[in-house]
Amino acid sequence: MENSTEESHLRSENSVTYESPYPIYGMSFSPSHPHRLALGSFIEEYNNRVDILSFHPDTLSVTPHPSLSFDHPYPPTKLMFHPRKPSPSSSSDLLATSGDYLRLWEIRDNSVDAVSLFNNSKTSEFCAPLTSFDWNDIDPNRIATSSIDTTCTIWDIERTLVETQLIAHDKEVYDIAWGEARVFASVSADGSVRIFDLRDKEHSTIIYESPHPDTPLLRLAWNKQDLRYMATILMDSNKVVILDIRSPTTPVAELERHRGSVNAIAWAPHSSTHICSAGDDTQALIWELPTLASPTGIDPVCMYSAGCEINQLQWSAAQPDWIAIAFANKMQLLKV
Amino acid sequence: MATPPPNNSLQTMLRAAVQSVQWTYSLFWQLCPHKGILTWGDGYYNGAIKTRKTVQAMEVSTEEASLQRSEQLRELYESLSGGETNAKTRRPCASLSPEDLTETEWFYLLCVSFSFHPGLGLPGTAYARRQHLWLSGANEVDSKTFSRAILAKTVVCIPVLEGVVELGTTDKMEEDLNFIQHIKSFFIDQQHPALTAKPALSEQYSTSKPTSSSSSYPLVTANNTIPIQNIVDRGEAIILNNNTKEAELAVPNSSFIPSELMELDATLEEFRVGSSGDGSNHLDSFPTEKSMALCSAGLELLQLQLPPAPAHPPTENLAQGGTDTHYSQTVSSILQKNSRRWPESPSLNLLTDSFQSAFNKWNSGADDYQHHFHVSVASVTSQWLLKYILFSVPYLHTNWLKGKGTSPYETSHVMAERHRREKLNERFLILRSMVPSVTRMDKASILGDTIEYIKQLRDKIESLEARKRLTGKRRMRQVEVSIIESEALLEVECVHREGLLLDLMTKLRELGVEVMMVQSWVKDDGVFVAEMRAMVRENGNGIKASVIEVKNALNQIIPRHEPYTLASSDHF
Repeated sequence: MENSTEESHLRSENSVTYESPYPIYGMSFSPSHPHRLALGSFIEEYNNRVDILSFHPDTLSVTPHPSLSFDHPYPPTKLMFHPRKPSPSSSSDLLATSGDYLRLWEIRDNSVDAVSLFNNSKTSEFCAPLTSFDWNDIDPNRIATSSIDTTCTIWDIERTLVETQLIAHDKEVYDIAWGEARVFASVSADGSVRIFDLRDKEHSTIIYESPHPDTPLLRLAWNKQDLRYMATILMDSNKVVILDIRSPTTPVAELERHRGSVNAIAWAPHSSTHICSAGDDTQALIWELPTLASPTGIDPVCMYSAGCEINQLQWSAAQPDWIAIAFANKMQLLKV
Repeated sequence: MATPPPNNSLQTMLRAAVQSVQWTYSLFWQLCPHKGILTWGDGYYNGAIKTRKTVQAMEVSTEEASLQRSEQLRELYESLSGGETNAKTRRPCASLSPEDLTETEWFYLLCVSFSFHPGLGLPGTAYARRQHLWLSGANEVDSKTFSRAILAKTVVCIPVLEGVVELGTTDKMEEDLNFIQHIKSFFIDQQHPALTAKPALSEQYSTSKPTSSSSSYPLVTANNTIPIQNIVDRGEAIILNNNTKEAELAVPNSSFIPSELMELDATLEEFRVGSSGDGSNHLDSFPTEKSMALCSAGLELLQLQLPPAPAHPPTENLAQGGTDTHYSQTVSSILQKNSRRWPESPSLNLLTDSFQSAFNKWNSGADDYQHHFHVSVASVTSQWLLKYILFSVPYLHTNWLKGKGTSPYETSHVMAERHRREKLNERFLILRSMVPSVTRMDKASILGDTIEYIKQLRDKIESLEARKRLTGKRRMRQVEVSIIESEALLEVECVHREGLLLDLMTKLRELGVEVMMVQSWVKDDGVFVAEMRAMVRENGNGIKASVIEVKNALNQIIPRHEPYTLASSDHF
């Protein structure tokens, strides 16, 4: 009891908890507004919400902005702020959401406007449902989306048009990530990680296939501090697979200290050798990748235990000392 | 007696002394009143520096560097020998590590862990006798016994105040009384005025020098002639120290000499206790043996080199054992701490600080448990929300669209791919229905069975063609006869010979078959063909010839092989 009290006391000084009126899935830190955070609700209906919060590290508190909340059709499968400030003179922020369409929202001081709606279907007024997307931080005019129709679509944000569309995989594409201005990678239900180069659209490179046939790969994260490495997770697996794009098919490491399936992964924005993972075992683990492979396996550097399954994880690039996790209807900010 | 001077003053004196003679180090062994032993009081290191660690980018003078080094060496010793609490304390980046030391520095560092009982070791002996001891060529003496020579080739111990001053150098120096007086001058100002008798003692000492040239030799040299001279020398010293009893000592002069001789014997025995070599090893046993053992980086080597403990008076034995145990524990502690500390990853500390982070350090105890943990994560609730987002949410849109009554979403390339797959599947089904023996339903099996079936068909074709060729050969000899009431139709096909047709017609006449019309020809390949139409008449008995009779009769006439032909020629 005494230890629990003391631990709680310590924890209250290095973490912040926000309780939402509804379950949370989508999350995003704003790079241009360091204290801004977007949360997407997870309600299995048409009507869903996106909330904008402000985080205050000095007072360890989180403030919601009701005037900046807006309705969103269906649960957003991904939220992401513009990787840079849209324009130096403007104080507004751009937020992209994916779901039935790719949508662009402008977050102003006291209001939110729906800016654009992207449709990639030429024969229908409806877009193929999107599972995820990534905003190119080198060329912010590009967003890449992944879809259940086996395609990846590259969008021109200003002209609201399809720049290109590729049949990326044999089955549904579940996640996508940019590596460079014209290079992206995707994971699919067919169990493969593929890298595409927009300068050579006829070819793609398979750099990993899951060991069991047809085991889907669900999430993908590309190490922005060291582009040679990326990480992926498998369905119903406690592994975080670390890949080196220079040696396809053989992982450089498999991190398996979770006691349940992994739901989310994120590389450290300021370190090339650290990655965070969170899963059904209610734990968020921070790992440090060694320079040499260890035969006995790699242990995490440190861990955090939440109350229930952690579904989402974001590592703030503007404030690398903070990690955000989402579980049930709670969002927690953890000091690293 | 005089109060021991404060540490700063003591270090100042040590520094001034060692710098004035440019030796490697100076130490002060201070008597602990409670324990009655000499312990490390303070020191100054004036030797070579291997790795200089300083926060300031500025250059510092040599003197400041040496002073800084002495303090750093002391801090390093304290951190290495400290407990767990010290290990957690974050040391400044300029702190030393064991790998930053030269061998000389290492020797100096180890002196901190020593203590001496009066009468034991070089400092203890000097203190007990209140006389200086000059050990010269120590490395040469010790190299006979140990694999590595010590680095302090010359060690001098001088009793002053309430302790002993020790100086060491890596150069070999012969005993020099002026040196002793020079060093003493740095400490003599602090002495009590009552001790002004010391100068008189010194004068007496120097006066006796011309008459005793043997005193310039090393004190510890084992020489037959030296002990006698030493006896006389020490006797004089004792007399001088007890001025008030001079007359009393003069009376039993004859008994004095034997007493000194016995004392010398005891001293020699004491010297030999430490090692099997020269007695001098005992005086130098603590710093020399231990430091060399450590330099050899082996605790076992240390134990091996130490001779078995001989029989001792109880107090001395305890003191001896205590010192050895103390040293082993010190070395073990240092080695353990070093092995734990060096591999520590700096980035780990850089990334997270347990006191500020919400994350806890990964528990290595749990690591053992993890190794035995077999993750079985496939369950209904595994990755539930993530799967829902990826697998179900995209299809919510379709339901919604259908709910609106709009035409369902359709993608051309997906449909094209679907059509292609349906066509392939359909054709596989057709192929399966055409192949009689199908083992399994999968496409690979269907293809395999089809290949086998085609092979069978090819074999069958070859078999039939072969059979056809055989049938053709049998037709080379053939007779066909058909009789309807009185009319007969005959066909003959055989190898031709001369006169065959006439023979056939003659035979038929004998059977009552009268030929009415004949067509016959010979093919290019020598085959005779005849078609005949005839009337069948009753013979004398009123019976007509049967088909079999006619056929058998003709078969006897048509040629079978060459001998038959020859027979026919004879007939002709």
